[in-house]
Amino acid sequence: MNASSITEQSEHRVARWRFALVLVAFALLILAVVVQLVRLHTLDQPFLFEQGEKRTVRHEVQPGVRGLITDRHGRPLAVSTPVVNLWVNPRQVNVDELLPIAQDLSLNWSSLRSSVLRNQQQRRAFMYLQRQVEPSIAKQVLARGVTGVYGDEDFRRFYPAGEITAQTIGVVNIDGVGQEGVELAYNQHLTGQQGSRRVVKDLYGNVVRQLDVTQIAQAGGDLILTLDLRLQYLVYRELKAAVQQHKAKAGSAVLLDARNGDILALVSQPSYNPNNRAQLQPQAMRNRAIADLIEPGSTIKPFTVAAALDEGIVQVSSTVDTRPGHIRVRNKTIRDIGNYGVLDMTGVVQKSSNVGVIKLAHQLGADGMWAFLAKAGVGETNVLGFPGEAIGRLPYPAQMDDLRLATVSYGYGLSMTPLQLAQAYTSFSQKGCRMPVRLVLQDYPNARCTPVMSADTAQQLLAMLETVLSNQGTGRRARVEGYRAGGKTGTSHKVGAQGYDKSAYVAMFAGLAPIDDPELILVVIVDEPQGQEYYGGEVAAPIFSRIMQQALRMRQIMPEGNAHKSPFSVPAVDREAA
Amino acid sequence: MTRTVPWLALLLWLLVVVSALVQIIVVHQHRLVLQDWQQQDALRHSLLLERTQLTLEISTLTSQGRVDQLARSQRAMIDPNDIQVLY
Repeated sequence: MNASSITEQSEHRVARWRFALVLVAFALLILAVVVQLVRLHTLDQPFLFEQGEKRTVRHEVQPGVRGLITDRHGRPLAVSTPVVNLWVNPRQVNVDELLPIAQDLSLNWSSLRSSVLRNQQQRRAFMYLQRQVEPSIAKQVLARGVTGVYGDEDFRRFYPAGEITAQTIGVVNIDGVGQEGVELAYNQHLTGQQGSRRVVKDLYGNVVRQLDVTQIAQAGGDLILTLDLRLQYLVYRELKAAVQQHKAKAGSAVLLDARNGDILALVSQPSYNPNNRAQLQPQAMRNRAIADLIEPGSTIKPFTVAAALDEGIVQVSSTVDTRPGHIRVRNKTIRDIGNYGVLDMTGVVQKSSNVGVIKLAHQLGADGMWAFLAKAGVGETNVLGFPGEAIGRLPYPAQMDDLRLATVSYGYGLSMTPLQLAQAYTSFSQKGCRMPVRLVLQDYPNARCTPVMSADTAQQLLAMLETVLSNQGTGRRARVEGYRAGGKTGTSHKVGAQGYDKSAYVAMFAGLAPIDDPELILVVIVDEPQGQEYYGGEVAAPIFSRIMQQALRMRQIMPEGNAHKSPFSVPAVDREAA
Repeated sequence: MTRTVPWLALLLWLLVVVSALVQIIVVHQHRLVLQDWQQQDALRHSLLLERTQLTLEISTLTSQGRVDQLARSQRAMIDPNDIQVLY
């Protein structure tokens, strides 16, 4: 009995000891948990909170869509459409899972694999898979659910008119920043504002909570140009055909609304496709109508005659003796094509007599000539204020000796862009007042014109310019069937390494129609035409004729009854008989 | 004084409970609004995509070069000369 009670007591003692041990162990464990809890909630809290946010809170950027560029009738010229930038986090991705994605995107698998592995080794967390992917393809890629593959919204710029408006509209780079043309000049206006917000995302990338919005995405401003896409296409088609026919190096054309200076077409050749710039030649990006300086040659002669008329030095009926068809100024002999004899003012313009305008310029003097040409916009610093726009050159009176004055009078020794030349011709159409030109419809709504000559002089000059297209004039081939038009041919030698190049020419034509109340002004420039024909009257005048005829019809301008008749016209239909 | 303390405590406790419930409701509402906003944003995005693609399609189909070529080749149309314009 005693023995058994002793055994029970000893068993109890062992149990209590064990019990105490377990109790202490549990108490220590609970203490450890409490200590750890306190530590996590106090000492490590900022660090852990930050780490937690890093894993769930995302800073999202929403791109702002770039503004639309349209022509004056709302036809789109530059459109931004949503696309997706696909990227991978090399730290998260299993490279072998990318094989089907590479096939979806037609990527070279071996090069993709090696670049992902390289980025993995460098511990990078971002790498573009492909930028500007079509949304349907991107959706297919993301639907594969490969870990570490993400897609961000973006926009891609498309140019529906392609090469027809390429240089004028310009291009943007892959980041949507304007690089050329209107895209560069109006980049700030067109660029949308990026939106940004902080959100909490779940494991599957869904937004479950929006913390704050720092910026709301805003679309960029739209831009309406003065261009008329139908006319632009027409001018482009005719200029391209002529440049190819004459195997010319380049060409440009400017079509202006004679009444308000709106640029209806601005074309350069050669051109390029802005939607596919893989094989782009840099020279094709040049907007020759505003970036190339030309010596206007004979197209400036109407201004010399106008200056003489406006100053009252001569009357329309006054005559100039151009015999014997050449004139010696200092040590240089300047020739006409032939001996035109005694010419009145109309005859000087019609025959494009160098001798005639030189004599007029010498009567005017350097100051008079300079002042008139400066008013006409020759040597103007800029017309549109576009990047890359060339600055015209007009020598100051002090720089003009007799010979320089003589060359300036027939369009050498001064330079201007085709656009400046077209603008100068608005002074004939607008009763002697030169209109400011504009390419963007919203610009300068109340701009004033610059007086150049009297309205009478302008009217007289229009009549003279019409005679240039008569049988006796140099611009016969510029006639516009069904309409009365006027204009001036021009041919200038290009400047080479050794002065003027005897075999390189620029053929040009500047004209207006209809002559009674001009509505359109067109300047056509063909740079270095090859072959037998190289005069402005042979190369540029027919282009003027073709463009102007179709342009006037498109503008629904009624043909005139006593206009030049077409040699190809079909007999009039006898309505009564029909 | 000894009687007011439990009432104040009870009131505060009730306020805590009510504010907790209100917070739950507000968070729920926030989620609903956010969900709705996200759906609308996705719709806006898809409409923008559709609109720009249709704009591009229209401008491609109506491009001057294409219409010109089709008019000449399929409809045998020609440029009118002056007499045809007059009548």
